[in-house]
Amino acid sequence: MEDMHVMTSAMSTQNDTKISARNVQVYYADNHAIKDVDVDIQDKTVTAFIGPSGCGKSTFLRCINRMNDTIDVARVEGDILLDGEDIYDRKVDPVQLRAKVGMVFQKPNPFPKSIYDNVAYGPKIHGLAKNKADLDDIVEKALRRGAIWDEVKDRLDAPGTGLSGGQQQRLCIARAIATEPEVLLMDEPCSALDPIATAQVEELIDELRRNYSVVIVTHSMQQAARVSQKTAFFHLGYLVEYDDTDTIFNRPQDNRTESYISGKIG
Amino acid sequence: MTDATAGAPAGKGSLLEEDKRTKRRNAAEARFKAYGLGAIGIAVTALLLLLGSILLNGLSSFQQAFITIEIPLPADALDQDGDGALDRVTTFTVKPILEQALIARVDELNIRPVDMSDSDIGGIISGEAPATFLDFVRNNEDLIGENAEFNILANGRIDGFLKGRVSMESAARDSNVTQDQLILTNQLIENDVIEQRFNWDFITNPDASENRPEAAGLGVAILGSLYMMIVVLVLALPVGVAASIYLEEFAPKNRFTDIIEVNIANLAAVPSIVYGILGLAIFINFAGLPQSSPLVGGLVLTLMTLPTIIIATRAALKSVPPSIRDAALGVGASKMQTVFHHVLPLAAPGILTGTIIGLAQALGETAPLLLIGMVAFVRDYPELGLEGFTDPATALPVQVYNFTQRADPAFVERASGAIITLLVFLVFMNAVAIFLRRRFERRW
Repeated sequence: MEDMHVMTSAMSTQNDTKISARNVQVYYADNHAIKDVDVDIQDKTVTAFIGPSGCGKSTFLRCINRMNDTIDVARVEGDILLDGEDIYDRKVDPVQLRAKVGMVFQKPNPFPKSIYDNVAYGPKIHGLAKNKADLDDIVEKALRRGAIWDEVKDRLDAPGTGLSGGQQQRLCIARAIATEPEVLLMDEPCSALDPIATAQVEELIDELRRNYSVVIVTHSMQQAARVSQKTAFFHLGYLVEYDDTDTIFNRPQDNRTESYISGKIG
Repeated sequence: MTDATAGAPAGKGSLLEEDKRTKRRNAAEARFKAYGLGAIGIAVTALLLLLGSILLNGLSSFQQAFITIEIPLPADALDQDGDGALDRVTTFTVKPILEQALIARVDELNIRPVDMSDSDIGGIISGEAPATFLDFVRNNEDLIGENAEFNILANGRIDGFLKGRVSMESAARDSNVTQDQLILTNQLIENDVIEQRFNWDFITNPDASENRPEAAGLGVAILGSLYMMIVVLVLALPVGVAASIYLEEFAPKNRFTDIIEVNIANLAAVPSIVYGILGLAIFINFAGLPQSSPLVGGLVLTLMTLPTIIIATRAALKSVPPSIRDAALGVGASKMQTVFHHVLPLAAPGILTGTIIGLAQALGETAPLLLIGMVAFVRDYPELGLEGFTDPATALPVQVYNFTQRADPAFVERASGAIITLLVFLVFMNAVAIFLRRRFERRW
């Protein structure tokens, strides 16, 4: 753990801290999945979580919008602060939190409804639109920001499940940003996509950085290097190293990070 | 290198002939296909035999022999005190009128067999006919003093003679019909006086006594079954779906919910007659609800159907991919919104199928109804409307059971006819289920 303190102090601070986690532990029943994770995630930055399978990066991501609450045996300890507020405070309603912290999942999972309804659902349940015209605006804006408007504008009534994999994933991203979140969590968003669709989504992630704090879990180190400014390396439940992406990939401090990056472990 | 390339093809043999292993595997596959075809063949044969025998026995119950003659409606006999009201008329008054009209017609056609008595001729008419005739007269008072054409229900034996159930040989051994009556019947058929017509009365009439199979119908049973299905649908569907949603989506997974789960699965396997005893003890003896009523029957069937609906609904909910739940929760839907906006609509086709299977099961159930008194002989229709739920009634499967208990062979045909009616209802319900499922699936 000594090396981590070194890194925390070495971290550059060009942006405000959006999320800060302290001493986070996650247990699945008796399995200690996340151990002593401390991390500060900055606003308007893409932060990538990398690491071998089962290292806990997805688990930690799901802690940030309390999706782990839906798993009966999961237990989270420690503090995760969003803008200085503890999201695990008893008074916090996870539903409200998830309106602020959106999520895109590994497998594209559009609702079996029309494209329009997919995007409009979030704004509807959060009461973001006053009338139909308002809602139309929100849907169009979200689809434009999701870089999918041109492809679907003529068939908003078509089922969202009828789109191609890459389109579905961008639709899911549009759906997530339609509720105007402040943080966007992405759990391996490109693992089910072909290289062209991946490139489109990556481009989109880079766009999103202007307005959101994006946290992305990825298996592909090239992807992390391409899209992120900050990278965290997880291993066996520990956050091993967290620094600027450049530093992680070119001058890693920890030899576990170096082994992973050079393909010796994982 | 050269050795390996030279050796490999020799070991594998030619592709043009099957080796031993492949032959064995192909033979096993062919055998398995044959078993499967055989199994399907057995099932289809059994189904065809069942349907065939029921249709063969039962279709004739929708046809009935009627005697069509002109009947004089004498004012002096029907309106004895001359005040224009039919207050003192009974079936005993009208019975001779029918008999005389038939005798007159027989003599007019000059077809009376030698030495056949008047009362023998009257015996062709069903014992139920005076009552239907009386109803007819009451509804058509303006016809009094004139002649009316009326279809008189023929005796069950005469009906059986037309359908081939009764023959001259069997009449010789039968005290309920004489050979003369059959000879006369043949003559009346030739003169178009007796003929078979479609028998709506079989569907609308109430049950009739053991001696009048020709008049027995399913009206009360159909109404009773309908009322029970309404009770089951109104109670079992919401309770079952609510229970399943809670257990599947909201309940914590602990030992207590595990026990509930196992018990629901076990309840589905409890013999249905046990539910009858439960209903008798709780709904009739303890709660004091009326016996033989569709309400109690419906309650008992609800208890019986609940596990089926719960199991089907939970399976339907489970089959909704978790990614849909994640997606809804991810955009900030609450647990309830997730369930009602996304999970439930996707599970609806499965829930519907389960519910209809449960209802169909309940519709065909006999044993628990025997215990709560629905096996009674009920002549009066239950009221239309809410009061009808507490009036005595029977149910279709119980009516089948009742018919099969009776001695007169004419009831065999009636029982099969009732089974056909029951099957028609079941097929209809399944068709509705399939239709609704298609609708929902198209909407996804």
